[in-house]
Amino acid sequence: MLLELKEIKKSFGQVRVLKGVSFTLEAGKVLGLVGENGAGKSTLMNILGGIHKPSSGEVFLEGKAFAPQGPTVSLNSGIALIHQELNLFPNLTVFENLFVKNFPRKSVAGIKLIDRRAAIFRAKELLEQVGLDIEPDRIVESLSPAQRQLLEIAKALSSSPRIIIFDEPTTALTRHESRRLFSLINDLRSNGIGMIYISHNLEDVISLSDDIAVLRDGEFINGYTKGGGYSLGSIIRDMVGRDMDQFFPDRDNIPRTDHLLEVKNLGMAPIVNGVSFVAKKGEVLGFYGLVGAGRSEVARCIYGLDSFEYGEVLWNGMRVKTLNPAAWISRGVAFLTEDRREEGLLLDQSIEKNVALASLGSFASAFLRRIKRKDINSAAKKKAEATRVKCDSFDGQATSTLSGGNQQKIVLAKWLLTDPKLLILDEPTKGIDVGAKHDIYELVNELVGNGSSVLLISSELEELLGMCDRILVMNRGRISAEFAKDVFNREAILESALHVMEEAIGA
Amino acid sequence: MKVIQARSIRKVLDHSTLILFAAIVITFGFLSSQFFTFQNLSNILIQSSSLAIIATGMTFVLLTAGIDLSVGSTMFLAGVVSAKMVAWGSPLWLACVTVLLVGTLYGLVNAFFIYRFKIIPFIVTLATFYVGRGFGLFLSETRAMNLPEGFLKIGSVSILGIPFPVLVLGVVILSAHLALSKTQFGRQIYAVGNNAEKARKAGMPVDRILLSVYLICGFCAALGGLVAIAQLGAVSPTFGKQSEFMAIAAAILGGTSLFGGKGNVFPGTLIGAVTIQSIQNGLVIVNANPYLYPLITGAVIFLIVLIDSLRHMQEVKSRRLGASF
Amino acid sequence: MIAQLKEHYQKSDNSILYLCVLYYIVMSFITPGFFSLGNNWNLLFNLMPLVIVSIGQTCVMLTGGIDLSITSTIALSSVVGASFMSSDSGLGFNPSVSTFIGIGVMLVVGAAIGLVNGVAVTKLGMPAFMVTLTTMMFFSGFAVWLTESQNIYNLPDSFLRISSMSMRDVPIPVVAALGVMLIAYFILNTTVIGEWIYAVGLNVKVARISGVNVDGTIISCYVFCGVCAALGAVLYTSRLETGSPIMGQNILLDVIGAVVIGGTSLFGGKGKVKWTLFGVLFISLLDNGLNLIGLSYFLIMIVKGLVILFAAILNVLKERPSLAS
Repeated sequence: MLLELKEIKKSFGQVRVLKGVSFTLEAGKVLGLVGENGAGKSTLMNILGGIHKPSSGEVFLEGKAFAPQGPTVSLNSGIALIHQELNLFPNLTVFENLFVKNFPRKSVAGIKLIDRRAAIFRAKELLEQVGLDIEPDRIVESLSPAQRQLLEIAKALSSSPRIIIFDEPTTALTRHESRRLFSLINDLRSNGIGMIYISHNLEDVISLSDDIAVLRDGEFINGYTKGGGYSLGSIIRDMVGRDMDQFFPDRDNIPRTDHLLEVKNLGMAPIVNGVSFVAKKGEVLGFYGLVGAGRSEVARCIYGLDSFEYGEVLWNGMRVKTLNPAAWISRGVAFLTEDRREEGLLLDQSIEKNVALASLGSFASAFLRRIKRKDINSAAKKKAEATRVKCDSFDGQATSTLSGGNQQKIVLAKWLLTDPKLLILDEPTKGIDVGAKHDIYELVNELVGNGSSVLLISSELEELLGMCDRILVMNRGRISAEFAKDVFNREAILESALHVMEEAIGA
Repeated sequence: MKVIQARSIRKVLDHSTLILFAAIVITFGFLSSQFFTFQNLSNILIQSSSLAIIATGMTFVLLTAGIDLSVGSTMFLAGVVSAKMVAWGSPLWLACVTVLLVGTLYGLVNAFFIYRFKIIPFIVTLATFYVGRGFGLFLSETRAMNLPEGFLKIGSVSILGIPFPVLVLGVVILSAHLALSKTQFGRQIYAVGNNAEKARKAGMPVDRILLSVYLICGFCAALGGLVAIAQLGAVSPTFGKQSEFMAIAAAILGGTSLFGGKGNVFPGTLIGAVTIQSIQNGLVIVNANPYLYPLITGAVIFLIVLIDSLRHMQEVKSRRLGASF
Repeated sequence: MIAQLKEHYQKSDNSILYLCVLYYIVMSFITPGFFSLGNNWNLLFNLMPLVIVSIGQTCVMLTGGIDLSITSTIALSSVVGASFMSSDSGLGFNPSVSTFIGIGVMLVVGAAIGLVNGVAVTKLGMPAFMVTLTTMMFFSGFAVWLTESQNIYNLPDSFLRISSMSMRDVPIPVVAALGVMLIAYFILNTTVIGEWIYAVGLNVKVARISGVNVDGTIISCYVFCGVCAALGAVLYTSRLETGSPIMGQNILLDVIGAVVIGGTSLFGGKGKVKWTLFGVLFISLLDNGLNLIGLSYFLIMIVKGLVILFAAILNVLKERPSLAS
């Protein structure tokens, strides 16, 4: 047995990410690891890579207990990790990136210089292995995303690993490049290397893997073996699960027909490629898609946080010219971004100050813009209380001391205080506990009940199914499908998010 | 259309070093026939050797996205210490070795505060800038110090027809260039400057690298100071003032980025230093009002920093578009 | 008892004030002439312009920036204002009119330099300390070039009286400093833009997404800082009875030192008017005391450099206590 995991558990603070996962990997086999976003795949992989330590449970590498103290230890023990976010230095050349930690060197007059010829020779070998046809002295900055991904794989091979873990290696690759990668994986397999292959592209996983493990909510749900009789459908059913139906509070209002926000042919190559949609008054409109499908970017473009190349935005039927947060706030549009620590909260400030920040203008006198301190503080406190945030003090406690769920409630309270007509939520429940999630859903329902609209971007399909009146699915920067509430269908939605459209290949 | 425009802007920004150099040389060539004589060009090279040496050290620091404002003070301290030692009767070589040690030690002090206490480099080096200058003034009792003939001889001697300052410059540039481009240490400096966090994750000795660049910078500042006083023959109380600006400007003009990870000593910093010296030299030759010098130099440096910032903004933009897919 | 005092000292943000009082008492005993009416007046008059300039700097540092160009702002507004007012320049206004025009022009010069700094930092994306370093060089060069290094004399009496006149027994410089402090306090604590300044300093991204006019906020801070520096120039010029192109050259260290010692964070977002006042008090007392003891200016320079370093260490330790071990 090459690698064995026994009852691995991991919690971050109060959030349990892994609840006892066990599986094994044999030499010369590929294990496919699938599950929805947030199922715990990345955490599991980071534990193997020495980046996180498990809260409990054991890992055995070739029968010996294995507890890496850091990434270097893991790498030296023969485990190579290929991250989704690339660890390349764009200002260095291809071969420098391959060997930056350990160049082949030669001694010239007692000084150890880089043996450029040897480095380039070895680099060529590695590049050939992954089918990357570029000069080793090209600057990485000039490479395409696909080439960078393949280079990252070549870097992993340079340490001659016994186990390779791939995390979504094909998201940046064309179909042709993916096939090259798969034949490389098959070569590695015949050389006795064990691999863990993580991907949302289930067709790939099925065709590559000897075994498949399905994770959901940090638990091992089901395992399949090649030839053991399974289908795409059965895997998707395992991934999604069905025990969340009762969790979402009811809402009985019906969306009106008039358009609140209309986006026409919005584009920012290569992430967003011509997106058009309409949000109606009193509607919760969901956006589903894989990470990198362009959902957040659409919202950021609209809100003026990123610039876009073409397209237009209409608000209440009028074309909008100034796209910046201040202008949107005065129109009544709020945007809760994905990264609450970096973009949502002033971590050193109190709850009151955070909640008040986006509404200062409406609590200020016309002359000299003096803040009506009493009014704003009591309004902020009221809003924070309405979110049922748990804290010691509203004016003395820094928000950095709150738990993730409570922090998110503060950001939400900030936006609710602006009295939004449209609230854009980007992954509002990511990494927060069940109770806080429920509170947030209720707040959303209350807002919509008062006639406002919500744009809900989420990677949790259950959340969208439970909350939305309509769901748009994004795939590679385009809207690939639209579902109305009465025809919601998990399998079909997943299918249109995962499916690789042939016409998009090579674009 | 927009894309083409952006590309041509990028091209101009990428080659700004040579464009500026050419513009300055051609302008002065037109304004005065003396500028393009062999004598004057070799003068420029000799005069720029001190600045180029200091800027070489500064390049190491800038490559890690740091900064060292104390190099002018280090230069001054170097000058004062060497003058004192020679006046007390120490042999020349001992004075020079001591001075280089003092410079390196000064770099160590900077590095200590920056990496033990994580204080922003410009605040640390702003403080050591004042401490160094104050200490130098204390040692010299705020008087100009004349150096013995021996020093001036070093400055004017030629070996195989190459003036000594230029020779020193050559050695410094060559070894810095080798270190940066041909050694693992050098390549790791670039990696750290691009993204220190990534470099740490990849298991590189980040702290050791950061420490060594400040040592190198201190050493180069002292050496540059020695080369300068060997030409001047005296150390005035204002010696080395504003050298830090000139060194930073030379490095950035040579294409090194204030934001780290980009740049080189050869040809970059060398051309940068020669360009700046050409401005000074050209202004003298065309008999410009001396009061205009700091104005023109200040404006040129502003322009250089502006170009670097625009280049950086473009890169961040294109990186963001490229990486998230 | 001692432990209690210690805890109170650590928690309270008046700690620097207590330190000043302690220092004052000790110095009164050990230094002859320290506790005299003349010296106290002297202290007060040195303090006031420094307070004004430092308050401006505090606002800039609250946004996470820094303004190193305040010295050249002082010099340039001094000479420009003085040449408008001086009877030598022959503009021929009557003295009280020319005083008004002179002061107005000085404040406009300060605002203009602040505007240049602010626009370069926000719209052109240049690093604050580099921008202000080059504008420092440029505008001080400009001041020297304008005057060809000459002082400007013969200012109108009505202008010179500013530093000696009193309003209801309170000297004008004190009134001005109190006014600036009150205005800054009012802006920072009761207005929308004050909240914005802190928010920008704590986290620019959060501020922008929350509808804060980030660029406008930062530019206003630099303009305010420039105006404060110009107001400082009014007091200095009036007191010295000359417009000088090297005026204010030595106060950069005092200003940065005072703000950092006061406790304003180098990373932005944390700081108070009161803290800066205590910081200025501390650095002025230090300066005055060391002067009376008879230390030369370069030794004082060393001490102040070390004090800045020490304050920066405390500043960092307060934000990241984990570094202490």
